[in-house]
Amino acid sequence: MSIFPIEIIFNILAGLVFLIYWGITFVILYHFSRFGIGVQPKKFAAVFLFGSVVLSAAAIILFMRINIGSFFS
Amino acid sequence: MIKKLFSIFHDSPNSFEGQKQGEEVFMLLRHHPFTIIIKVLLFILAGLVPIVVWTISATLFPEYNWLHIFLFISSVWYLILWLAIFHSLAMYTLNTVIITNQRIIDNDQHGLFNRKVSELHNHRIQDVSVHTNGLIETFLTFGDVTVQTAASEKQFVFHKVPEPERVKDMIMQITRSRASGVQAMVQ
Repeated sequence: MSIFPIEIIFNILAGLVFLIYWGITFVILYHFSRFGIGVQPKKFAAVFLFGSVVLSAAAIILFMRINIGSFFS
Repeated sequence: MIKKLFSIFHDSPNSFEGQKQGEEVFMLLRHHPFTIIIKVLLFILAGLVPIVVWTISATLFPEYNWLHIFLFISSVWYLILWLAIFHSLAMYTLNTVIITNQRIIDNDQHGLFNRKVSELHNHRIQDVSVHTNGLIETFLTFGDVTVQTAASEKQFVFHKVPEPERVKDMIMQITRSRASGVQAMVQ
């Protein structure tokens, strides 16, 4: 069996994980900005968004460096 | 323009949804920071897990080269931890008690989609009591403030608020000034 379908499944799974992650991130940011009172929630929202972007970028770069073919062989 | 944009991080008023005209916010209370610091410290400890796992696995199975897959799984672990930390911070930040010159509003955020808002008008306040329990609460000066309304009605309990004595005094001052018709002074 070709390794190609496994790579696709792996990519789809990773995409789903990111979709779920950014879904939850949106909900938390929405709560900070919609219901937050005062300065503190705005600061938390900014730090959270910045950290999420940085961590996501790192995760994407690390994901692209994985050679799934050699892992399953 | 940029200066104006960033002003929300140091200049944001304590205004809230449903604020009435002429309603002035005297106090905005959240749980004592100690309660959230403990949680965040636990998450930071959980951040050490990948380092420990890598150290152990590199010692036990030195022949396997799974650095890349391990780094990716670690990054996902840190993403989950980041979400968990800010979920806790959101719960901490959104659990508020707002004391205004007209009423007390208690926002209870139990989950992202589980929110309870109760309000109590100042003229219905009958009694305010403070409960400080234990060594940590005593030394860090935080505790529960209970506001009693008319006999048949429920109590309002604000858990783990900092400086509960000051909160009690403030509520009593507002209640007294409302009864006497004299404007309360914020201390």
